[in-house]
Amino acid sequence: MNDSSALLEVRDLKLGHHSKRNGKLSLAVSGLDFDIRKNELIVAVGPSGCGKTTFLKAVAGLHPVLSGELKLDGKQITGPGVDRSMVFQDSSLFPWLTVMENIVYGLKAQKRYDAAGKARAEWLLDLVGLAGRGKAHPSELSGGMAQRVNLARALATDPELILLDEPFAALDAQTREVMQEELLRIWQSGGATAGKTAIFITHDVYEAVFLADRVVVFSAGPAHVAEIVDVTFDRPRSPELKRSPEFLRQADEILSLVMSQSWAKERMVTA
Amino acid sequence: MTATVQLSHQKKSAAPTDMYEKLRPKSKRLRNRSLILGVTGIVLGLLIWQILASSGVVSSTFSSSPIGTAGALWTMLTNGTLWAPVAATLASFGIGMAISIVFAIPIGLILGRAPVLRELVDPWINILNSVPYVVFLPLIIFWFGIDETSRIVLVVWSAAVPLLMSTIGAARNLDRNYMNVATVFSASRGYTLRTVAFPAILPYILSGIRLAVGRGLVGAIVAELFLGAVGLGSLVQVQTSNFEMDEAMATVTVIAIIAILINQLVGLVERRFAYWADSS
Ligand SMILES: Nc1ncnc2c1ncn2[C@@H]1O[C@H](COP(=O)(O)OP(=O)(O)OP(=O)(O)O)[C@@H](O)[C@H]1O
Ligand SMILES: [Mg+2]
Repeated sequence: MNDSSALLEVRDLKLGHHSKRNGKLSLAVSGLDFDIRKNELIVAVGPSGCGKTTFLKAVAGLHPVLSGELKLDGKQITGPGVDRSMVFQDSSLFPWLTVMENIVYGLKAQKRYDAAGKARAEWLLDLVGLAGRGKAHPSELSGGMAQRVNLARALATDPELILLDEPFAALDAQTREVMQEELLRIWQSGGATAGKTAIFITHDVYEAVFLADRVVVFSAGPAHVAEIVDVTFDRPRSPELKRSPEFLRQADEILSLVMSQSWAKERMVTA
Repeated sequence: MTATVQLSHQKKSAAPTDMYEKLRPKSKRLRNRSLILGVTGIVLGLLIWQILASSGVVSSTFSSSPIGTAGALWTMLTNGTLWAPVAATLASFGIGMAISIVFAIPIGLILGRAPVLRELVDPWINILNSVPYVVFLPLIIFWFGIDETSRIVLVVWSAAVPLLMSTIGAARNLDRNYMNVATVFSASRGYTLRTVAFPAILPYILSGIRLAVGRGLVGAIVAELFLGAVGLGSLVQVQTSNFEMDEAMATVTVIAIIAILINQLVGLVERRFAYWADSS
């Protein structure tokens, strides 16, 4: 965090959905306000349905901003861009493409698939531990493997900001632990994936503390920032960290923050 | 000591291999079994038919017999009387299918993506789908006459509706997640259509085509029965009214073989282009 200039600025952001039935607007995010610095791994937690996915989609350019600022590198986000990519909540690999074709999809869509892109894709396949499985089809992969491919696909376009929406939520507890370590390994590996800025959404506070530089706790919906918790454990982090008292204390603190948000929902409506 | 370790190790690894060896031939055996039983069933049916006909329990004047049918089929194949009707039926079926595919798929895609338009025409599609199309035949004849045009119209009428409906369903339920991936990667509209929307929809379109092919073939034959044209349907009718039961049965056999072949062909296309759909 030597470079502390803001990559993403969120100022008094308001997002909402128009109901399909009566067209009425319901707010998903209101008065959201925080910054994300370059090379930071931000984890967002919050009560279910509070607006985390909506926020992430807005950053990806998939969801319109109602009002407020949502600036990437000083420019308001108005749509998707090659500087961002996203790992979706449910595995969204294209089943009609092979693993390798999935990984290079973004590069091809952006007409950037050249010798360097090909080499990068090969390198990523290796990095996520699937060397030699490039010709497999997604249906032949386990859930954990599929999410690794998803991660590789998001990294392939070399984005400035990578958005991850509960990427490990569908995995069993054991695989999830492995994937968290894998993610950190990739993050801390140096080379072409080093120091990426990322927003990672999860419901798992242990996952949050293990991965994050900072944990942003969202309030009950419509979401605003309830609290930002700095996580200062040294990197590289090892799995043993999860058993240290300080780690557990911080996870507990965040858990009670999220819980109090869920309970505070009623009183929060007019805030 | 080392020997025992090796031995137990060998035993351990031997067990799963044995299991697999049992598993694999079993599934193959099962496949072979259903093939053998299927063929046996057909042969048995033909045998019973032949015995009933030869023993005079049923009159072969009315029912023909497998041997008589095979003989007639051979004659019709060798003297060439079969080819013109086959060509005629396949022509109206083929043209009708081509028209159905060319129109029903794009219209279905548009209707699937435009809710207002879809709700506007939905009742019409439902009416066309639920009313047996044969009742429209007199009208079709009145509008289009009794030649080729009417037969093609009937094929289109029977094939286009199911194809239209499955295309609408596919376009409507196009997975948003897949589209979002393309959008996040800033894929152009054309690229998204070609690389995401089309492959995602293709399996549903192909199963719509499978349905349409079956209905279209029925449409082609029904049209010939009513319109007394040159195809296989009218051939059966002419042969039956001439009491040429062997020949009539032979023609029915040809129709059955054509139907099965066309279905196999569609199945082949499905396996080639939508192989991933059944496993996901
Ligand atoms: N397509 C939509 N149309 C209308 N309302 C929506 C839509 N998607 C989400 N919402 C509403 O917006 C609010 C926020 O939803 P969002 O998916 O962002 O929550 P979330 O924090 O990601 O929840 P979870 O943790 O369960 O994934 C919810 O109240 C939800 O009902
Ligand atoms: Mg969500």
